[in-house]
Amino acid sequence: MLSLVLRRVHMYAGLFLGPWILMYTASTFVMNHRTLFRGHEPAPPKWEIEREMVYPGEFPPDAKAPQMALQLLAAVDMDGAHQANLRDGKLTVNRLDPVNPRRITFTPSDKKVTVEKQVFESAVFLERMHRRRGYQHNYILEDLWAISVDLTIAGIVVWALSGLWLWWEMKVTRKAGALALLAGVGLFALFLAVL
Amino acid sequence: MTFPHINRRTHLYLGLFLLPWVIMYGVSSIPFAHNQYFEERDKAKNLPLWTKTFEGPYDLGPIPETGPLRPLGEKVVREFHMDDSSYGVYRQSPKQLNIYVHTFWKSTQFKYFVEEKRMTAEDRRFRFDHFLTGMHARGGFEDGRFFPILWAIVVDLVCAGFLAWVLSGLYMWWSLPALRRWGWVAVLSGLLSFALFLWRL
Repeated sequence: MLSLVLRRVHMYAGLFLGPWILMYTASTFVMNHRTLFRGHEPAPPKWEIEREMVYPGEFPPDAKAPQMALQLLAAVDMDGAHQANLRDGKLTVNRLDPVNPRRITFTPSDKKVTVEKQVFESAVFLERMHRRRGYQHNYILEDLWAISVDLTIAGIVVWALSGLWLWWEMKVTRKAGALALLAGVGLFALFLAVL
Repeated sequence: MTFPHINRRTHLYLGLFLLPWVIMYGVSSIPFAHNQYFEERDKAKNLPLWTKTFEGPYDLGPIPETGPLRPLGEKVVREFHMDDSSYGVYRQSPKQLNIYVHTFWKSTQFKYFVEEKRMTAEDRRFRFDHFLTGMHARGGFEDGRFFPILWAIVVDLVCAGFLAWVLSGLYMWWSLPALRRWGWVAVLSGLLSFALFLWRL
């Protein structure tokens, strides 16, 4: 019974988490060959202006960057996960987005708001997806993504452990399997010693 | 030997050979995903993370404005007798270069102040979560030495392995007609959730 449950968990977890695994696989490959995909000194991302407008509202006199960012994002109808930075009175809000991140800047002197869209680059997109995690943003979808990352981590550990169990049950593959396992463990131990 | 048989054996033996990497990538993702927790836990120990081991005049020579900086790092690791370590060189600002020298077990950070021709070196205290994340983040073919390149090749092999497990797993699922319906539910719900994240996140 336990074997059957493990087989099913192993398989259904794999079928459900397939898109995450493929994304992490592709992004890992890109990062492992970063020079090939992005050059020796990767150029900063390119931005293109999406729209410009005058913001008619006022910020409270003692407002800090996080509060101003929320107000500005609501004004341009782009509420969501973001990082805000206030320097010399100029507010820059990076609106996180897996495919097309936006940069919204507000200059108080002329009350001008500029919304820029990051030009899509597949290698940058994959790396961004790979690094997206954590529960630090106050948005439910962000938390759900973080939960899906945790689920993927759990899936990887479960595949490894259930895979070991399922292998051990098949007597005919024990010898060759033990060789493969020992070769892997040996190589990994060597790396631990020399790297 | 039939294709389904080869498919099953490849799925299994590749998994067993790459098991240490699979476990390492899984477990080391935890401190990445829960970074705040691990940082707060370490902060409570009230121990400095970095200890200065060198500070003094140092001439790294002319700093190129563009192009690879690795030759500068090579000079530093050689002169500080750390040739057995990997390193990365980063332009912190036009006035500062940072050189990170690391093994799985130890990290040293050099800061070179260009105008003052001054260098500092700091050793990082060992932290198990950093040990894990260091292994996780290790990769690339920039380090021309044998073992770092071999590690990068294994990282590629792990990528190939994950791709093979997904494809061979799909094949094995499809070969079991009794499981197709619930399998479809899992496949479609995974695809839809992922697409939703791409669209709305």
